[in-house]
Amino acid sequence: MDVSNILADNAQKLKSIQIETDTPLDIDTGFLTVTDPNPVDIESYESSLESYLLSLARTGTQALLNALFSLPTTSSPDGPLAQLPAPSTQLPRSKPLPKPKPLTKWEQFAKAKGIQGKSKEKRVKKVWDEEKQDWVNRWGRDGKNKQIEEQWITEVPMNADIDHDPRKAARHERKARVTKNQKQHEANVARANKSGGPTPSNPEREARKTDLERTLATTRTSTASMGKFDRKLEGEKKLKGVKRKFDPTEGSVSTEAKTALGLLSKMNSDARKTRLTEAQRPSKKSRTAHGDGGDPEDKILNVRKAVRFASKGRGGVALGREREKNTRGAGRGKGKRR
Amino acid sequence: MLRTVKPKNARSKRALDAREPKEIEDARTVVFVKGTKTGEVLNGVMKDMMALKRPDAISFSKKNVIHPLDAQNTASGSSSTSSLEFWSTKNDASMFVIGQTSKKRPNDLTFVRLFDGKVLDIVEAGVENYVSMESIPGPKSTPGHKPLMHFASELFDTHPRFIQLKSMLMSLFNGEAVESIYLKGLEHVISVSLAPTPATLNVASSSAESTTPLPKIHFRAYTTRLLASGSRIPRVELTLMGPSMDLVLRRHTNPDPELLKHATRRPKLKKTDVEKGLGKKRKNLDVDEMGDLRGRVHVGKQDLSKLQTRKMKGLKVGAFEDDSEDSAGDDESDQDTSTKKQKLS
Repeated sequence: MDVSNILADNAQKLKSIQIETDTPLDIDTGFLTVTDPNPVDIESYESSLESYLLSLARTGTQALLNALFSLPTTSSPDGPLAQLPAPSTQLPRSKPLPKPKPLTKWEQFAKAKGIQGKSKEKRVKKVWDEEKQDWVNRWGRDGKNKQIEEQWITEVPMNADIDHDPRKAARHERKARVTKNQKQHEANVARANKSGGPTPSNPEREARKTDLERTLATTRTSTASMGKFDRKLEGEKKLKGVKRKFDPTEGSVSTEAKTALGLLSKMNSDARKTRLTEAQRPSKKSRTAHGDGGDPEDKILNVRKAVRFASKGRGGVALGREREKNTRGAGRGKGKRR
Repeated sequence: MLRTVKPKNARSKRALDAREPKEIEDARTVVFVKGTKTGEVLNGVMKDMMALKRPDAISFSKKNVIHPLDAQNTASGSSSTSSLEFWSTKNDASMFVIGQTSKKRPNDLTFVRLFDGKVLDIVEAGVENYVSMESIPGPKSTPGHKPLMHFASELFDTHPRFIQLKSMLMSLFNGEAVESIYLKGLEHVISVSLAPTPATLNVASSSAESTTPLPKIHFRAYTTRLLASGSRIPRVELTLMGPSMDLVLRRHTNPDPELLKHATRRPKLKKTDVEKGLGKKRKNLDVDEMGDLRGRVHVGKQDLSKLQTRKMKGLKVGAFEDDSEDSAGDDESDQDTSTKKQKLS
């Protein structure tokens, strides 16, 4: 069987779409653009400009179409669509890249704790109503959240007030939820604005200012009355105390687990609470050597209590002074009083 | 500056949201502005360019006193770029084509590109040998169809002025990245070719820039006819559609490097795109037909000398040793045994 005829036919077919250039053309299929880096043929350029430009454009277009028609396609109702790759040429954008939306407080918390709920976009507007056997609005017209207010009969609890209006109560509750949500939304917006707010223009000046304020605060509390009976200047502000600081409620789960486990292990390892065996207990000699350091239960004499008793509640220093006086002699007057 | 407005109803909110920056941008809206004096030629050029650019084109029909390239030199003209920026925000347009003719610069066409409401760069060109779209008989392209673009010269890759021009024209006609395209809808080609490159430009482009005249630019638009070729790929034939004109590069401004850096920032790639192989290339990872991610692990070269094969008495290292030591007196065997000993120890 002679296939040369078929091959020649095929070659003839391909010839019509093949292009011959010295340097391969630079094709950017993403932007449907072709660049021909070959130098201009001066002879044909000067002899017939228009036909030369046409042939040049045809060559380039054919090369581009060859690339485009060999791209993978997907079908659509209008016909096959060629899937274009991302463009290789970089053109400047007309607007800056969109900024990521700031997270709300709840979103921050959920992210830190790894809570995956339904996002705002995913949450559907309609909910299924078992009684009506239909989808109803979550809010809005005939909304699910207004069901109690709008139903024609409502059960009243036995111990309700005389003027109890269940519809009014439900409406009040709903309105309270709305205002609360509004408030939270406003706080979120304020927080988003604040985080992206202006930074101090002069950090050195700011540092100096805080330093001065701190010095002033220490001088104000450095008098005998710790500033309580000092004469106040006009317009002087009240001193602010140190604010207690708490760890944020949202932190990573791992650190939280670590602190909790640390606490547990501390409780387990408490030597005083665990009962020691006889062998584990320190020997009596070492205990006496330590003196006060031993267990309070094991000691026969409680020194603190004994001193209080002996000095009649005046303390160890007074006891020592008295003893000194007694040894020197009792004729000094203090003994008379007694 | 325009006030930042808070939308009062859903419709205006949608309109404002449409103007927000997007990750993948739409085509640039172009405003065609007439300067103080435009001749017949420039009116025709702008009309035809608008026909190519529709529907993302806005025409300013009144005359405007605008000289964007003179703004840097004179204090009086400084309002030019600011009014461009104002129009940009008003019309949500990020490109301008300004036509203006004067004795000094006849048939002057200025392309202004903006980023974030600020002028990025300007290219000025003079129009010569203009033939309008109307005067050329034959089929015209449908408005709104994407054109193919063809650039012919090595200068489009080497010379800064022509690189800028190519980028500008691509932004003007083809600056929209689309995912897919209907191939039968490719109706026209915009071809931009250059006159032969002067010899001086080939040697040192930057130093010769001021002295040598830049080659002429031939701007042509053709319609395509896709003919059956017997294979899947059709053969293309072109017919002149118009407008056709020759452009001569005049003044220009380069983009501010800081602004350009912001303008060429790319969005972070999505996870799916990375898996598809876009963006940074990940080695040894690919997605098979079932959509499963497949990886190839390369282990190092295996040391076969330490491989434990079948244990036999004859193959034992120490078995042969004693005999050879006694009998052989050659250096070679001596060396062999010594190495074996070293290995053993």
